[in-house]
Amino acid sequence: MGDKNSKTDYGRAEYYYNRELSWLAFNHRVLEEAKDRDIPLFERIKFLGITASNLDEFFMVRVASLKDMVNAGYTKKDIAGMTPAEQLEVINRATHELVGMQYSVYNKSLLPLLAQNGLMVVESHEELTKKDCAFVDRYFQDNVYPVLTPMAVDSSRPFPLIRNKSLNLGALVSRKEVKGRRHLFNKKSVHGKEVEFATVQVPSVLPRIVQLPEAADGTKRVILLEQIIERNMDKLFLNYNIECSFPFRIMRNADFSLEEEETEDLLKEIEKQLKKRQWGQAIRLEVEEGIEKRLLDIIKKELMIDERDIYNIPGPLDLTFLMKMYGLESFEHLKNKPYVPQPVPEIETDDDIFEKIRQQDILLHHPYQTFTPVVDFIKQAAKDPQVLAIKQTLYRVSGNSPIIAALAQAAENGKQVSVLVELKARFDEENNIVWAKKLEKAGCHVIYGLVGLKTHCKITLVVRREEEGIRRYVHLGTGNYNDATAKLYTDLGILTCNEAIGEDATAVFNMLSGYSEPLGWNHLALAPLWLKDRFLYLINREKENAIEKRPAKIVAKMNSLCDPDIIKALYEAAAKGVKIQLIVRGICCLRTGVEGTNDNIEVRSIVGNFLEHARIFYFENAGDPELYMASADWMPRNLERRVEILFPVLNAELKEKVWHVLEVQLNDTQKAHFLQADGSYRKAESKGKNTCNAQEVFCKEYTQLTAKKEKAEQQARTFRPEYNQTIQN
Amino acid sequence: MTYKTFAAIDVGSYELAMKVYEISVKNGIKEIDHIRHRIELGTDSYFMGKLNNDRVDELCRMLNEFTAIMKSYKVDAYKAYGTSAIGESQNQYILLDQIETRTGVRIDVLSNSEQRFLDYKSVASRVKDFQSIIERSTAFIDIGGGSIQISLFDEDSLVTSQNIRPGVLRMREELARVSYRSYQLEDIVGEMVCDSLESFREMFIGDKKIQNIILVDDYVSLIVQRNFLETIKKGQVSTENFLGFVDSLKKKKAREIALSLGLAQENISLLYLSALMIKHMIKLLGAEMLWAPGVSLCDGIAYEYAERNKLLPSDTESVPHDFEQDMLDCARDINRRYHSGEHRTREREMTALTIFDSMKKIHGLSKRDRLLLQLAAILSECGRYISLANVGDNSYNIISATEIIGLSHVEREIVANVAKYATEKFDYFKILDSNASLDRESYLKIAKLTAIIRLSEGLDLSHKGKCDKLKIANENDVLVLTVETNADMTLEFGLFERYATFFEEVYNIKPVIRQKKSNI
Repeated sequence: MGDKNSKTDYGRAEYYYNRELSWLAFNHRVLEEAKDRDIPLFERIKFLGITASNLDEFFMVRVASLKDMVNAGYTKKDIAGMTPAEQLEVINRATHELVGMQYSVYNKSLLPLLAQNGLMVVESHEELTKKDCAFVDRYFQDNVYPVLTPMAVDSSRPFPLIRNKSLNLGALVSRKEVKGRRHLFNKKSVHGKEVEFATVQVPSVLPRIVQLPEAADGTKRVILLEQIIERNMDKLFLNYNIECSFPFRIMRNADFSLEEEETEDLLKEIEKQLKKRQWGQAIRLEVEEGIEKRLLDIIKKELMIDERDIYNIPGPLDLTFLMKMYGLESFEHLKNKPYVPQPVPEIETDDDIFEKIRQQDILLHHPYQTFTPVVDFIKQAAKDPQVLAIKQTLYRVSGNSPIIAALAQAAENGKQVSVLVELKARFDEENNIVWAKKLEKAGCHVIYGLVGLKTHCKITLVVRREEEGIRRYVHLGTGNYNDATAKLYTDLGILTCNEAIGEDATAVFNMLSGYSEPLGWNHLALAPLWLKDRFLYLINREKENAIEKRPAKIVAKMNSLCDPDIIKALYEAAAKGVKIQLIVRGICCLRTGVEGTNDNIEVRSIVGNFLEHARIFYFENAGDPELYMASADWMPRNLERRVEILFPVLNAELKEKVWHVLEVQLNDTQKAHFLQADGSYRKAESKGKNTCNAQEVFCKEYTQLTAKKEKAEQQARTFRPEYNQTIQN
Repeated sequence: MTYKTFAAIDVGSYELAMKVYEISVKNGIKEIDHIRHRIELGTDSYFMGKLNNDRVDELCRMLNEFTAIMKSYKVDAYKAYGTSAIGESQNQYILLDQIETRTGVRIDVLSNSEQRFLDYKSVASRVKDFQSIIERSTAFIDIGGGSIQISLFDEDSLVTSQNIRPGVLRMREELARVSYRSYQLEDIVGEMVCDSLESFREMFIGDKKIQNIILVDDYVSLIVQRNFLETIKKGQVSTENFLGFVDSLKKKKAREIALSLGLAQENISLLYLSALMIKHMIKLLGAEMLWAPGVSLCDGIAYEYAERNKLLPSDTESVPHDFEQDMLDCARDINRRYHSGEHRTREREMTALTIFDSMKKIHGLSKRDRLLLQLAAILSECGRYISLANVGDNSYNIISATEIIGLSHVEREIVANVAKYATEKFDYFKILDSNASLDRESYLKIAKLTAIIRLSEGLDLSHKGKCDKLKIANENDVLVLTVETNADMTLEFGLFERYATFFEEVYNIKPVIRQKKSNI
């Protein structure tokens, strides 16, 4: 037990870890998966691709934001006591190191293993055979050349816009000696030779990976698109010699701020800002290792980029192509066996979903269980003559979303459909604008979001007029209404027609429509109004229970933990003896082993085949446990700048199921990494008989559940004759 | 199951609210949605006399949205009421017409007494123990934005109902003009509230102790309902506990209070003022228990709709209280206050009601009109308190200036006129000069009820209660009034014609009086 009289100030910077470094540590954990020899090879290349994609987003948002702060002269320290400039400094070192590790894994481990397993990645066009050359040249002529736009720099044509995240080939070209022709490009006299700068974007509309004719031994061979273009550069700049050409890629500041109070039409303003995103300040330049210095100098100068923001890449730029490579056929044996989300036993296909919900609250656990009931919930509501209204919040939805189609159908069927489409959902702004317009066209009442807040909560309300009166059906979830990511992200949801929750859900949508908050809430807690205080209250209640020697424990699972008030409250609770087990997939600014907390806090991160995404909170409450789920992480942005919902699990049976989810994750010995006092993570010891991979356990459990149900149904359709035992004997 | 979906809209002083209900005989009144929008209409109308254009635009925009919500619930009916903020707007008729044109929503303005009566009805219908609570001396305090209504109950009867100013929003606006330090606030509120309260106590309570306070307001009730105080049962706290709670608020900043109570910070100033007002009331009245059922005007509107459409549950347990009796009690209390002996009006009341009941097919008046007649009969002598000479005029003036809980302004004007012409010659034109903008229907109602009350006056001119029994029969356009009595009826027979002429004019039926010996 902690010292009751201890007066440690848990607000001190030394007790917190910098969030950016913590994020980089998370990406290291993903990279660990790419290194893990126990994982099928293609899963490993997928993980490596994910680290690249993650890093891109990190630069566009986090690094960009820190750069903005530095440029604005902002010197306020973060919770870990670092100024923005100091953070940039350490991030720079850490990202260079991370990139080095990515390519080390790619070059030293994965490429040779791929080759051994029948997939040869031809790294450079110079390695192509004659036959291959003919093939790629033809491919270039037929498919690539028509979509290329070579860009030149001269006095009438300024340095072209290099689009954010685009892959480009930069070249130095010199004029072929042809009489009577004037120079096309801006001349640069470098080292006495007149050369000009030219560039061409590797078109994103074409596949990055091009399959070459199979080798005689059946080995599949691929080459990257930029290599094909590089080989054919001379066809783009006729009459010029290509002195050198190298791929380069830039990352721009993609963060934009809206003056929402002064914006009359949020949709138009976001559309405007999105165009500007392509022009954001360049914050990172990736070039192929060994790039010609003259070429680099031109790019550096034109993009006004610091030396330290240049990354010399010992391999192909932009490893996100590996996620596409994962999709190559004929390598299924090098991937995990695909898991098929299992049906939800409480809801059979073609069931009246409303009747099923009336029978009992239904817990949904994705992707182990199918997302179909959520889609069906909207689809059935759209067709049901008894349904009066459908209300939903949308943050990120899939392309060709069946939910959007069902909502549009509902509006066309005369239902009152209100949808809050969050236009400010980062990197989904353009998609969401399209959806918003489509829904409006279908007759839905579309709210574009709230001024100054992002609506991140996941809630659907269906109002149905039944024989007994109006009944409200509610879906509350921890993940987006996205049928595509629901196959990859682990999330939980509840379908209920609990009257009190229905009342609260109505109040939520009233508030989202701009009305005052209700006089009181029954079960839901909303951010930014109450959620943080509610969490602090629940944590402090555990602390008080510990002081009074009552059972006190917290188990919380989330994506990120970086809210200083929450962390401080956790330290204080731990210091009084509360046992705290945290399952934090990503950023964690809380440190373990902090003085006075007596090792009462344990943090683990699970990085597995599915992306851990659910937010679950367990509070022992002196022996009367309470379980909650939420759309929010313990981050200031979730608790203070977003509309989020915390909802309780009320039904005893469901409570057990949700607790089981936590329990299995706490027992994970294969994918769990434990946070150490120095900020590093160490993988759990997985030796011995009692190994546990939580995600595999869930897959197995849900598959068995389906099999058991099918067997029971089969038995119910078989006659069982009964014999007279005596006669038989 | 048959049920109606009904929307009640309250255009209040600081909030526009709509509640959607499902109402059925089986399940009673069930709230299914509550939409609120903060809009301080009272700030404009109380201090500038009318609403500014921006507020009207905002109000119309919100009402249009409410209409869309009503459509989404497929509501069968709605009722929208404006309270003092609309009622005190100088251009209320222009305003209401404009709102109806722009939104299609018709808003009727409630008089204070009507509004309070609806609040009161909703409390009585919601609180199961209401009947037992009011058996002990109880103050029903309804804090509105513009004023406060205090109704006093004792032994199951309404003793009086008085309106005092200011209400909580009006008080906040007035305080904004006063420069004070925060520690002075409690005393200043006390000074603003206690003067009227002390008069109330002297006039109606005396030394008697008030045991309970039933509270209707928008803020303190919420806190009590949500168990932020130690409750005895839901909505019920000891006043000692409550006073401790108010004192604890003093030490906190608005944000702190908002967080601890789960209220939006914008509501804290009004919550604190309400709490201070209640604190002063508790101290002055000496109450021990505070009941806050947490009902709103919308609940009352829904109750009224259910009542009118016979959708209330048939078991009387759910609404055990007799609201008409409260209005009659209130009228009798006025009578007592003006020392108008009950014996003087009792006979008139009974006779008038007997005549009314016997003429149902002829007069075409409603049950509500019967109540108005009864009230007029009870109050027809109260003017004697001022002068014995012009009793009718004086009664009219007293009634017009006194709130009778549950009556609209027009109804009060009807009662006042009927009471006046019970003893005075009917003035065909003067009635139309009244302030209440009487329409033709109201005018005719006054005439019909006056004809009846005058006839009853003609049967008891000496106010000695001569009549033991009255039988009425309608025979070939003659209304035969047979009075069973052994008393001398010479005076009544002699002057009956004077009172019967107007009746004949109104109903085209000739009343005749007959006497029959009584067995009593």
